[in-house]
Amino acid sequence: MNPLYILLSRVLLILVGCWLLNNAANSAESLRLGNPGEPETLDPHRYNLRLEETILTDLFLGLTTFDAHGQIVPGAAAAWTTSDNGLIWTFNLRRGLKWSDGEPLTAADFVYAFRRLLAPETAASLAYFMYPLRNAEAVNSGELPAEELGVRAVDEHTLVISLEAPYPHLAERLLYPTGYPVPAHVIKEVGDAWVKPKNWVSNGAYRLEDWQPQSHVTLVRNKHFFDPATIERVIYHPLANEQSSYNRYRAKEVHAISNFPSGELDRIRKNLASHLRLSPLLSIVYLVFNTTTPPFDDVRVREALALVIEPEILTEKVQRSGNIANGSFVPANVVDYDPAVMPHLHLDENARREKAITLLREAGYGTDNPLRVTMRYVSGMEAKKTQLAIASFWKNIGVETQLHHAELKVHFADLRQGDFQVAQAGWFGENNAEHYLGLLVSDTGNINYGRYANPAYDALMAAARQQADVNSRNKLLRKAEALGIAEYPVVPLYSVTIRRLVDPAITGWYENSRDVHPVRFLGWR
Amino acid sequence: MVRYLLIRLGLTLLTFWLIVTVVFFLMRLAPGGPFDGERRLPPEVETNLRAAYNLDQSLPRQYIDYLAMLGRGDLGPSFRQKDFSVNELVATGLPVSLTIGGLALLIATTVGIAVGLKAGLAPNTRTDTWLMGLTNVGMALPTIIVAPLLVLIFGVALGWLPTGGIGSFNHYILPPIALAMPFTAAIARLTRGSVVETLSEGHLQTARAKGLPESLIIRRHILPIALLPVVSYLGPAAAALLTGSVVIEQVFELPGIGRYLVQGALNRDYTLVMGVVVVYAALILLFNLLVDLAYVRMDPRIRLQT
Repeated sequence: MNPLYILLSRVLLILVGCWLLNNAANSAESLRLGNPGEPETLDPHRYNLRLEETILTDLFLGLTTFDAHGQIVPGAAAAWTTSDNGLIWTFNLRRGLKWSDGEPLTAADFVYAFRRLLAPETAASLAYFMYPLRNAEAVNSGELPAEELGVRAVDEHTLVISLEAPYPHLAERLLYPTGYPVPAHVIKEVGDAWVKPKNWVSNGAYRLEDWQPQSHVTLVRNKHFFDPATIERVIYHPLANEQSSYNRYRAKEVHAISNFPSGELDRIRKNLASHLRLSPLLSIVYLVFNTTTPPFDDVRVREALALVIEPEILTEKVQRSGNIANGSFVPANVVDYDPAVMPHLHLDENARREKAITLLREAGYGTDNPLRVTMRYVSGMEAKKTQLAIASFWKNIGVETQLHHAELKVHFADLRQGDFQVAQAGWFGENNAEHYLGLLVSDTGNINYGRYANPAYDALMAAARQQADVNSRNKLLRKAEALGIAEYPVVPLYSVTIRRLVDPAITGWYENSRDVHPVRFLGWR
Repeated sequence: MVRYLLIRLGLTLLTFWLIVTVVFFLMRLAPGGPFDGERRLPPEVETNLRAAYNLDQSLPRQYIDYLAMLGRGDLGPSFRQKDFSVNELVATGLPVSLTIGGLALLIATTVGIAVGLKAGLAPNTRTDTWLMGLTNVGMALPTIIVAPLLVLIFGVALGWLPTGGIGSFNHYILPPIALAMPFTAAIARLTRGSVVETLSEGHLQTARAKGLPESLIIRRHILPIALLPVVSYLGPAAAALLTGSVVIEQVFELPGIGRYLVQGALNRDYTLVMGVVVVYAALILLFNLLVDLAYVRMDPRIRLQT
C-alpha cells in the first residue's frame, strides 16, 4: 500500500479514535487527574520520578503500603516480625492474593521481583533503595549472582528478608515501587514488552488500560484486587506547565491538578477556597557551600552568610506560595525526630548582622576587600525571586553576589562535579532523618555536593546505622545533625508545599506529608 | 529531467546526512546526561545504565552504530520514555502533528488565497486596505501570544472549546487556527501582490475583449500565474506548518512529535531528539523537493533551462 495512504488512514483513525475515546471517557465514572509530567516508564523497577510513583501506587501493591492518610499499613503482607538483632524480617502474605489476570501471587513472586530489581541488566536507577538487603550492593554491581540476595520464600505465604545491618525503616523502604512485585509469568513470555497495555498484569487496585505518551495514561479497576476500588477508571494527564494545568482545571477538563502558578494563590484562596489543598511535603530546600575551595572552605565565611538569611521572609514575603521556612537540615515534619536547628536562630537580627560582619572581617573580607561569590540556581521564576532576596541579604553585609542559573539537568550535573561556590539544592522523600543526614557523610559520593567531610560526623552516622532501635538510632542522628549544622556545610531554607486544586465532589482525599492519594480510597460525593 | 531529479536527490541525501551528524554531536556536547534524575545514582547503577543504552562505547563507535541503525530504519530505544522505542513514539506522535499541521495548511491556503484574491482584484479600495491591515496584524502577532489568548478566551472564559490535549474533534479546532494565522496572512499578502501584478498583463485585455466571463478569467488567466510565488512559498510553509507546531504543541499540550522534541532535549534523550530531528529533516527536505518538482511542471521557463 502507498505509504501516503497508510499515513492518511492513521490520521483518520486517530480522529475517529479520539471521538470514540472522548465519548467513553466522558462517562461519569472516570476520574481525570493532572500529573506534573509524562511518566518515563511504568516498570516499577525502572522508575525514578515522583509522578511515576503516583501512578504506580495505583497499579501495584507492595508488602507494605499507604493508607488514605499516607500512613504505612500492611499491603500484600498481612503482618511481619523482626528478629531481635533487627537483621531478619519475616513477612506473612495475605491469603488469596491474585494478579490482575487471576493468577495466584505468592512469596516466590517477591523473590523474583527483588532479584530482578538488583540484577545489573535491569539497570534500575533506584536499585540502591534496596541496598539494606544482604548482598544487594554486590548483586547489583555483578559481583555476586542474584541467588545470593538476602530474600527467600519459605513457603507460598512466607517471605524472609535478611539485611546487611539493622534497618528499622525497612517497612518504609518497601512502600516504594522498587519493592513492588512484577508478573514473572508474563515477563518470561513477552520480555520487556510486558509494560504494554495489551500485556499488562499487575497486583494493585488498578491495571493499565491505555497509554498514549504526552496525552494520557488510563487505568481501569482490577477486579481481582482484594479490596475493590470505588472509581472504575482513572485517567492521568501529563500537565507539566502550571498555567495550562490551571486552565484545564478551570475549564473542568480534569478533576484535580498538582500544580498551578503560585501567583494565583491569593485569588484561589478567595474564589476557590474549597478546592485548594496545600500539603507540606517531606522535603528540604537548602543552600550548599563548596567546602573544598575558597572562600567557603572557611567555616567563618559560611556562618557569616548563613547568619543573615531570613527564611521566613523568603517564604512569607518573597515567594508567598505556601512553602514553610525550616531551620534544620531534617525537615520539621519528619515524625518521631527532634531536628537540630541552626545554632544562630535564637539571636536577634542585629546581633546576627554584627556577628556576620565580624566573622567576615576575621576571614579577611571588608569594605576595601569585599567578598564576591557566585550563586547557582535552577532556572525558574520562584527560584529567581528567592535567590535575588538572598543576594540582597548578603549585600547588607557587603557581599557581592553574582547569580547564575541553568536548567535542572545542567545545574545538578555541575553540582555533582563540584563546579560551584554556593548553590541551591533540594532533597525530598522519606520520613526518617537518616535519609537527609546521609547527604553530608564524606563517603556519600558526588551528591554530597559541597564535599563536606567531618570524621566526627561520619563516626556518629556510622554508629547510628548500627542501631536496630529507632529511638537510640535517632538520638545518635540528632547528635550528628547538631554537630554538622554548626559547621554550616549547608543552610536549610524551607520545606516545599505542594499546591493542588481538587474537585470538592471527590471524597477520601486527605492531606499528608508524603503527598500520596491512592485512588482506591477516593470516591464521589 | 531524470538527471535533474538524481542531482536533487543526491543533494537532499547529503543535506540529510549533514543534519544527522551535526545534531548527533551537538546533543552529546550539551552538559548533563539522560540519567540525571530527581534522585541520586550510585556509580554501579550508572554503569549498568550506560551499558544498557550503549553509552559505554566511544563516541565515534556510537555514531557509527547510530548510522547503521538508521540505515535499517530503526531509530533506537528512547532513553527516557523507557517503555517505548523511538519508532513507536514517532508513530503515535506524527499523526497528531500531521493532523494539526495539515488542517493548518488547509486553513492557511484556502483562507489566505481567498483573502488575497479579494483584496488583489480591487486594489487600493477600502476592502483592500482593511484586509491587508488585518494580515499585518496576523503576521505581527507571534503564535506564543495568540495561542494562550485563544485558550483563555474560548477555553477558560467562554468554555466552548477544550483548552488542551486531544480526545475529540473539538480538540482539533483551536490549535490549527493558532498555527495557521501567520501563514494565512503571508499567503494572503503574497497572493494579493501577484494578483495585482497579473492584472496589468496584456493577455487579460485580450481575454476580456473576447468577452470571457470574469469568473473564468480569474480561474484560467489570473490564478495560475498569480499562484506561482504562492506555490514556491508553500514548500517551506508546509514543512514549517507540519513540523513547526512545537510551540502550539506545548501550549495546547498536544502529544505530537514537537512536544517530544522539547521534552527530549530537556531530558537529554539523545535517541528521541535524533529521531524527531530525522523525521523533521526528512519531511522538510521532501517538501522542498516536491515544490521544486511542481515548479518545473508549472513554469515552462524552468523546464527549458534543465
